[in-house]
Amino acid sequence: MAEKKEKESSARKSETAAEGLARNKEIIRRIVEMGNRLVGEIEAKGNPHIDIPVRGAANVQFDEKTKKIMLGEKVAKRFLFNVAHARRFMQTMLVASYVKKDLLENDLTATLRDLYYAKKHTIAGSQEDTIDEQKESDLAIVDFEVALDTFRERLHLRAEPKGRMAGELVIEDRVRDRVDRIDLARMGSGGWAVPSIVEQIEFKEIDAEYVIVAEKNAIFDRLNEDRYWQKNKCILMTTAGQAARGARRLLQRMSDELKLPIYCLTDADPYGWYIYSTMKYGSMALAHESDRLGCPAMKFLGMSISDIERYDLRNVTIKAKEVDIKRALEMRGYDWFKAKGWQEEINKFLDKKIKAEIQALSSKNLQYISNTYLPDKIKAQDFLP
Amino acid sequence: MAKETKEKEPETKPAPAKAEVKAAPKETVAEKAPLKSSAELEKEFREYSVAEFFKRNRQMLGYTGKVRSLTTIVHEAVTNSLDSAEDAKVPPEILVEISELPNGHYKVVCEDNGTGVPKSKIGQAFGQLLAGTKFHQLVQKRGQQGIGVSYAVLFSQITTGRTTRVKTGIGDGRVSECDMSIDVKKNTALMANEREYDGKFRGVRLEFEFAEVTYNRSEYSVYEYLRRTAIANPHAQVTLIEPDKNVTVFPRATKDIPEKPEAILPHPLGLTTSDLIDMAHTSKSRKIASFFSGEFSRFSSDRVKELQAMVPEVNLDRAPSALTWPEAELVTKAFQKMKWIAPDMGALRPIGEKQIEKSLKNMLQPEEMRVVERKPKVFRGGIPFLVEAGIAYGGNSGVQTEGAAAGEGGKGSAAIQGGRKAEILRFANRTPLLFDAGNCAITEAVKTIDWNRYDLKDFENQPLTIFVNFVSVYVPYTGAGKLAISAEDEIVDEIRMALMECARNVSSYINTLRKAKEQEQRRSIFIRYVDEVSGALHDLTGKPKAYITEKLKVLAKEKTALLDSKETVMEEALEEVEAAAEEEIEEAGENPNHTKKK
Repeated sequence: MAEKKEKESSARKSETAAEGLARNKEIIRRIVEMGNRLVGEIEAKGNPHIDIPVRGAANVQFDEKTKKIMLGEKVAKRFLFNVAHARRFMQTMLVASYVKKDLLENDLTATLRDLYYAKKHTIAGSQEDTIDEQKESDLAIVDFEVALDTFRERLHLRAEPKGRMAGELVIEDRVRDRVDRIDLARMGSGGWAVPSIVEQIEFKEIDAEYVIVAEKNAIFDRLNEDRYWQKNKCILMTTAGQAARGARRLLQRMSDELKLPIYCLTDADPYGWYIYSTMKYGSMALAHESDRLGCPAMKFLGMSISDIERYDLRNVTIKAKEVDIKRALEMRGYDWFKAKGWQEEINKFLDKKIKAEIQALSSKNLQYISNTYLPDKIKAQDFLP
Repeated sequence: MAKETKEKEPETKPAPAKAEVKAAPKETVAEKAPLKSSAELEKEFREYSVAEFFKRNRQMLGYTGKVRSLTTIVHEAVTNSLDSAEDAKVPPEILVEISELPNGHYKVVCEDNGTGVPKSKIGQAFGQLLAGTKFHQLVQKRGQQGIGVSYAVLFSQITTGRTTRVKTGIGDGRVSECDMSIDVKKNTALMANEREYDGKFRGVRLEFEFAEVTYNRSEYSVYEYLRRTAIANPHAQVTLIEPDKNVTVFPRATKDIPEKPEAILPHPLGLTTSDLIDMAHTSKSRKIASFFSGEFSRFSSDRVKELQAMVPEVNLDRAPSALTWPEAELVTKAFQKMKWIAPDMGALRPIGEKQIEKSLKNMLQPEEMRVVERKPKVFRGGIPFLVEAGIAYGGNSGVQTEGAAAGEGGKGSAAIQGGRKAEILRFANRTPLLFDAGNCAITEAVKTIDWNRYDLKDFENQPLTIFVNFVSVYVPYTGAGKLAISAEDEIVDEIRMALMECARNVSSYINTLRKAKEQEQRRSIFIRYVDEVSGALHDLTGKPKAYITEKLKVLAKEKTALLDSKETVMEEALEEVEAAAEEEIEEAGENPNHTKKK
């Protein structure tokens, strides 16, 4: 698009290659520091341990000012000389070694599975493997990143990428030295796949007024086929369920750097709403990364239980299940769902015990969502906080 | 020699005569024979001699099943031997030899070093039923039947038509031998081939031949019976030679001969109808009334009057031998309703904690054991009893499971080895109770203990021997077979208390064992990971791997002894970390299969 504006470099938060290397050095320094501390403990005949900030309901608070779920002070210790901890401690050490020696020092990235295979072997003189299932090394990675007060992208570990985008945006992506320019308006029917590490991505040209993020692939495909983003000057993203870290980080950057409003589209049920809240405020499990992944300016476009009434979808609702009700009851108590609008929605849900998928709108006609529902809602600014 | 009986009782199979040995009724016939009503029994009792009565009702004496019949025979002989050795104040030395003859019969030899039997009493002792010397002082003695070994002679006679070779000496330099059989009609001894010669032999040696018996090593076998007898009689040395010529010596654990029990007269509360009939029919008293007042304890003439008032239909002026079964039944029922002065506590003769300990140690070489003797208590409102119990753990305690290798239990900690199951050794006045475990107060007590509380989870599969001896002048057996102790509340409670006391001790030992095992495991875990950790730390810090490995190995040994309590403090926080991490993996949507579930 001709009138796409060049982004001023001052607002750019993406990382250059040089910055990336400097960051690597900083992480390596922290890892070495951890190693030295542990060796020190061993020399002092102590019980070597790693401090891990506790995540979970008991140690997170909702920060009203920043609108993010933040980690408290509570720290757990993992010891080498403790039967229950020893194996995980050993695995965490393997992770540390791999991240420092194989990844950061060579400026390479790897998947969680790469690490799993790299460090899995039979322990000498035993029948035991260092790692049995990938889940074990995944958990050790979580420990390690939290203990190091960083996140796995900085450890050069890639999660499975998930999420696709299309819209009026041109970006540059860097794969080590090579830079690719990508026009998200020319990504065909599938869209552009959001990578798991997005720090290096630069926003180049933009002609969009807002971003719509849908939890469902089907909605993305519908809107992309209808070229909704072109007609309405916006950017589309699908998270395909719970948003992966790459997608969340990119949403935050679009919100912060491009100052675009972000509208979220999920099914009208507690699970969908929870996905929304995770993208917006962060989650308890990832509270240590809320700063980097949260997107407090995000707004909830739909669907709500009220939409079911307003758009006359009663005939296409689904009966709520036990788990939905349980989740809703939990959510009603969360600080970040205390807004009046949400309390009303949750109560309506608990009262009627029905839910609806976004695709329920197709009962009107296939393009109802593109032509009527979204434009109406956005025009009326009919959002939930 | 027994003559063929007439067809008086068509429903009862006539006992086979000599010529009919091969056609002898199968054991199942005897076992499954319907229980007779007391009226039928009474009729038989009147019509036949005692010998003939029991010939027809052998199941009443424990002769049911081939294995069990053999055990019963050995039981009769061995109880006599033990009692007799005690009378002679010598440590019992008992030999039992069983061999299989070519014709399928079994030859059984039982020999002891007891008082022996004077020549003039041989016929009475071995060839007459109910003639036992013990019968009138049946105070806490092992054999209470009074029929005992004579019936074994009869059993040999009715299954093989053979006589029993008896050899005995009383230590006066003379030895007597004869072939013994019983005139069933008259219930008198028939002796042949009598011989008397000079010799030092003192004691009794019996050589029987039987059919309708079989030998094996099951839990009901002679082997098991003798093993248990040896445990309950640590002063006895018992030798068993099995048909395969395998010789087993259950060695003596102590030279201390137990004090001879005081003979006190039976207490009316402890009598069954059958006991009463037995006593009445051998009584020398002139009248039933004087039989009661003279041959029972606490039976004053006032009590006789009281009894007469309660059972006016029983004429107490007749001779005791005229007492019929229904009358005896009425009388024993009346006994239960009368108020009696309790029997004398002083007559209780336990084995003793020390002796049981020696015995269990001797037999089982356990890793740990505890023996408890409880204070005397009473049941049924006045019968004194006491319970001795022991629990042995490890070593050869328990029984080898079938899967485990045969032979000696290996050394080392049983907790780690496995391969053994718990066993319960039941005794009443030192006599092993092998049969009918399900109905026994001891089994009931064991079953109702919560063994988990004593670190004996899965109690049945632990290397445990549970020992219980019930001591009383009157043992409330559940049936005439005298195989199980009636599960009365007071008795079960006492046994429970005793066993729980033992279990506490054993439990603390098992705890110590488990801790040691855990420490060992813990150390091996730490050592296992040392190499990996030091390798990684070398990668992190550049410090030499060997240096870190050395330091860690030393530390691993030291830290193994760390108390668990210290470790558990932080566990809670870690659990939260764990939960969050798992949620994170889930939430981050990194599992491609994880999508919204509808």
